[in-house]
Amino acid sequence: MTSFIQSVLFGLTIGGILYIISIGLSLTFGAMGIVNFAHGLIYAVGAYAVYTVATILGAGFVVGVLAALAVSVPLSYVIERFVIRRLYGQSIDYAIIATYAILLIGADSLKWIYGASPLPIIDPIGKLWTFGSLQMPAYRVVIIGLSVLIFFGLSLFFKKTLVGKIVVAGLQDREAVRSLGIRVEKHFAIVFIIGSALAALGGVLYAPLSTLNPYMGFEILVLCFAVVIVGGMGNLRGTAIAAYSLGLVHSLSAAYIASSASDAMVYTVMAAVLIFRPIEA
Amino acid sequence: MFGKVENNPTLTLVFTAAIFLIFGYATSLPKITDFMIFCIFVIGFDLLYGHMGQLSFGHMLYLGAGAYGCGMFAYHVYPDPFLSLLAGVLLGALVAAVLGPLVVKTSAAAFALLNLALNEVGAYLVLSPWHKWTGGEDGLSLFFKKYGFINFQQSTFRFYFCLGSLLLVVYLVLRLVRSPYGNLLKAIKENEVRVKFLGYNTYVYKYITFIISGAIAAFAGALTSINLSYTNTSLISPARNVEVIFAALMGGAGSVIGAVVGGTAFMTISNYLAVYLIRWEMFLGFALLVFVFWIRKGIWGYVRKV
Repeated sequence: MTSFIQSVLFGLTIGGILYIISIGLSLTFGAMGIVNFAHGLIYAVGAYAVYTVATILGAGFVVGVLAALAVSVPLSYVIERFVIRRLYGQSIDYAIIATYAILLIGADSLKWIYGASPLPIIDPIGKLWTFGSLQMPAYRVVIIGLSVLIFFGLSLFFKKTLVGKIVVAGLQDREAVRSLGIRVEKHFAIVFIIGSALAALGGVLYAPLSTLNPYMGFEILVLCFAVVIVGGMGNLRGTAIAAYSLGLVHSLSAAYIASSASDAMVYTVMAAVLIFRPIEA
Repeated sequence: MFGKVENNPTLTLVFTAAIFLIFGYATSLPKITDFMIFCIFVIGFDLLYGHMGQLSFGHMLYLGAGAYGCGMFAYHVYPDPFLSLLAGVLLGALVAAVLGPLVVKTSAAAFALLNLALNEVGAYLVLSPWHKWTGGEDGLSLFFKKYGFINFQQSTFRFYFCLGSLLLVVYLVLRLVRSPYGNLLKAIKENEVRVKFLGYNTYVYKYITFIISGAIAAFAGALTSINLSYTNTSLISPARNVEVIFAALMGGAGSVIGAVVGGTAFMTISNYLAVYLIRWEMFLGFALLVFVFWIRKGIWGYVRKV
């Protein structure tokens, strides 16, 4: 029983991270009809930034988080401005290929700078909370809490702020919003950058649970695509539900089937969902 | 001048054969054998992408199904090369037929990503739960029976066998693309809703095309495992999907000759240039960007107008 509860908590951790990363993907897809593989690059860059600042320079984890955000925002702006904006309204295949190319270039640059071998980051909190026989690293609890906070923060953002409202309206009907004299693309770009910053945050949060490698972006991205497909593209609440559910599938299948089975099980669940709930995209 | 070649199947076959023969004897036969097998794979992929307009990001699954179908048959059942090839193609077609109803319902982004996810599942199954039959990480090393001059240990025989296979695939796909069925595929690519309004059940056409494309990719996979005389997980690796996408884009999507040109060009770059390029993936990324933004018609798209 203890191990079951432990797996559930671990699943919620992974789910929280998947949620944080997937928001950007889901919004980019829903708003602009673009599948953004470069999202995986931002995620990896975030993790490497925190490694550089916290481990190499020894400036502490929180400074590392700020550095990761500071690097990811301009980088995502450049990607949005020079690659993605040129592909609006065109065949979706070109966007997939172009952003995949960015991911390749970025992963190879990371390999160039940091080498191909996996790099570890130590748990920044390093405390274990114990409840009876249940042990839980405090860091994981912080992640779950943070993901829930982000969920409510974003809900508020999309309900209460003007930018958020414009984006939600733009997701529904872009032409109608544009006919009101609002530059939808500009607001989408803001949301794109927020989504990318969250991806970098996801990379930062996930790094201490695992190791860094230049191809980490590829690995997480397919999982996040599964989240976006299951949750419905551009659907924020669906993305959250899908992220936590698939996180649970991930950790429970790692605990009860085989640790290498976890990714495959997530995709199998995704396929099963698709059989019963076909998507129009 | 080159446009005429494309409109004449006989000329296409003669040109393809002549170019690969010259290329083969000018460089090395085993290397060009790899090129031709890859071209078969690109043709299969392009049937979905260029002709039907659906980008699959997981076509390595079908290459792998062919390679493992062929390899496992030769290893566990009977090492006859032709039966093994057949087993590979049938396994690829079977996988496509089983997954088709799920995949073909989707389109665009979901199609690409679903294929990628299924490719990951396939790679995992081959690597871990089925390792008793597939050899897991080590793969299977294969040996094939020989009958007289039909000897797959000989690189010259393999070269001519693969050349024959490539010509056969080019011929069959050309016939398919130029038939009314091919026109329908093109129409589905342009506007599926209108094709539906004309009374066609587009789902059936897409499903059949998906199976054909999977079977051709599996044929390429089976040939690969015969050519290398081993099968391993690199033949089903999801990370290698970008190669075939790049090749199709580079050659010119939606044309059989374009696929052959793209396959050859990609293999030339990856075999000769990659030796000098340390940052191979970075080069691949920039080249992809150049083709997506500026050379969408691909090499053949420009050459055919000459």
